Formats: sequence, C-alpha cells, structure tokens
Amino acid sequence: MTQVTMEEVWKDINLASLHPHRQLNIDHEPVLSNQTPNKSIFQDFLNKPLNQEPPPSSSSTHHGSLLAPPATVISLNTHFIDTHFDESAMFGCFGKKRGQDSDDSRGDRRHNRMTKNRESAARSRARKQAYINELELEIVHLKKENARLKRQEEQLKMAEATQHQTKKILQRSWTSPF
Amino acid sequence: MSLNNRDPLVVGGVIGDVLEQFTRSIDLRVTYGQREVTNGLDIRPSQILNKPRVEIGGDDLRNFYTLVMVDPDVPSPSNPHLREYLHWLVTDIPATTGTNFGNEIVSYENPRPTSGIHRIVLVLFRQLGRQTVYEPGWRPQFNTREFAALYNLGLPAAAVYFSCQRDNGCGGRRS
Repeated sequence: MTQVTMEEVWKDINLASLHPHRQLNIDHEPVLSNQTPNKSIFQDFLNKPLNQEPPPSSSSTHHGSLLAPPATVISLNTHFIDTHFDESAMFGCFGKKRGQDSDDSRGDRRHNRMTKNRESAARSRARKQAYINELELEIVHLKKENARLKRQEEQLKMAEATQHQTKKILQRSWTSPF
Repeated sequence: MSLNNRDPLVVGGVIGDVLEQFTRSIDLRVTYGQREVTNGLDIRPSQILNKPRVEIGGDDLRNFYTLVMVDPDVPSPSNPHLREYLHWLVTDIPATTGTNFGNEIVSYENPRPTSGIHRIVLVLFRQLGRQTVYEPGWRPQFNTREFAALYNLGLPAAAVYFSCQRDNGCGGRRS
C-alpha cells in the first residue's frame, strides 16, 4: 500500500463527521511530510520567550473529540491492511488530529532538542576555547614580565658587585664562631 | 586595528552579542576579593556578593570613564530574551583611579543566574567630558550599544568578562 491509497481510504471515511480543520490537514499532507512549515514555526518559537504557547493547532482543542474517530479508523485499518503502512502517511492523515502525543511532533521535539543541544555544545566549546586563549595570553605576558624582572635583578646585582669593588677596605666575608 | 579573532572576547561571543569590535586603549583590573577577573574565569555567585574593586589605567586624571556591567545571557544562554541585564553602572571615573571615585548611577546588584552558564561583562567607555547620565528605568533589556550611542561614548576602551553559574550546578535543562 502506498500513501496515495491511504489518502483514498481516509477520504472514504465520512469526513462530514470530522471538524473542518482536520480536512485541511489531510489536504496539506504532502506539505507536512516536507516539514518546512514546522521549521519556520520553530524558528519563531525559539526567538520568543519559551513560556508562550505555540500557535494553537487544531489538535489542542480536539482532545475531547478524538475518542470517536480513532476507533473508526482502527476498524478501517483491519479491513484494508495487508502490507505495512508507511508511518508518515498514516500520521500525515491524522497526526495533527492527535496533537502532541503523535510521532510527528515527537520528531519535531527531538529535532528541536537536537538543535538546542548543538547550540549548547557550541557555546560550551566557545567558553572553553576563550578561557584557554586567555590563559595563553597570560602565559606570554607573565613570561615577558618574568624575563624583565630577572634582567632587572641581574642589573641590580651587578651594580651592587661593582659598588663593592670600589670599596678598598677589608671586610669580613666569612665569620668564624670565635 | 581591533581585537584579533583569537581574543577571548571574540571567541566568547562578547564581541557581537554585546559589543562592537574595538581596540583596547586602557588597563582595566577587576578584582573580587583576592581573585583577579580574567576572561572566561569561572566565578560563582557566592564569590561576587559584593562589588569588585575596579582599577583603571591611563595617566591623566582629567579623563573620565564609564563602567557598565551586564549579563547578556538572561534568563538563560539558550533563550536570552531579556538580554542584557544591567548589574552596575558607574560614571565619571577619573583615569588612574577606580570606581570608588566615580558616580554610581545604578548600584551593584550581584548576579544570581538560575539557568545555564552566564557571561558577565564589564565594559569601560571613555567619556568626552564629565557628563550627566540618567539612570535607565529598569535593569532587564538594557542595551550597551544603544547606551553608548546615547551618551556619545564611542567604542569601548576596555572590557573583561567572566562565566557565572549557580553555586551548586548550572541549573541544567528545565523542560
């Protein structure tokens, strides 16, 4: 069986008994399989505060009325199944109807999660690299300062040594205990 | 001439998210207790309860500087819709001195990130002269770029940032 067959099967069902929104979903089933509208929604979604509700889909208002049609569909499937149904075709038909607990949105959520995880990983790498670069800069700076201070110390020592040489008086350099 | 792209401010995304490209022109030294803040250093909220000591370089007391301290990752780095949160604003800081000698327009509020690992940025701008700066009405959704444009502060003279997360873990994923 192909997707087209499923479409026909679905259309055979008395669509008058269903909410108009569901009919639209069926008509746009090919678009759903591309998932582009979902992607644009998610981009907007991610740009907003996350506590906002996504644009209400028809499914959110239909949880109450979902009970009847699935039973009908299931009975239909038993008549027409003889090969395995393409899952995306099946859920393309009534994925929106079932709403958030369907494989369709599960895939969306997984995709969203992957994107967020990717971004988080990128931030983590950037954070780590930035800190490492800072440490490297510090090392360079500290090495220069260390070299400078050592040279300064050398110069001071030499200055002190020459100063001692100019004094002609005898001095104790080693002292005995007595 | 500007910061090269290995500079921590660039790699950490501070250039872009908060500031334009600039060239460092003055020393900026920020110290919390005994710890000097270096870019990307991990500092916990418990270590930054009180305002840090800020010392600036330069050589002429007649040059005045403004210090801005913001968190661009509010409320969380993955969803920063309240970017930026203004933690501190001090103006009229004379060169060679520190924030103690300036005018605290917005008092220091210690960062307490709840979700994720936030960058806390301190930026120093050179003022054209002593000037009156009006305090913004609120701390969230501050915009450092716009603020600098409004008061003719030009490009930053110096900046440093550190990473801050909750004392007992970064708050992870909520949903």
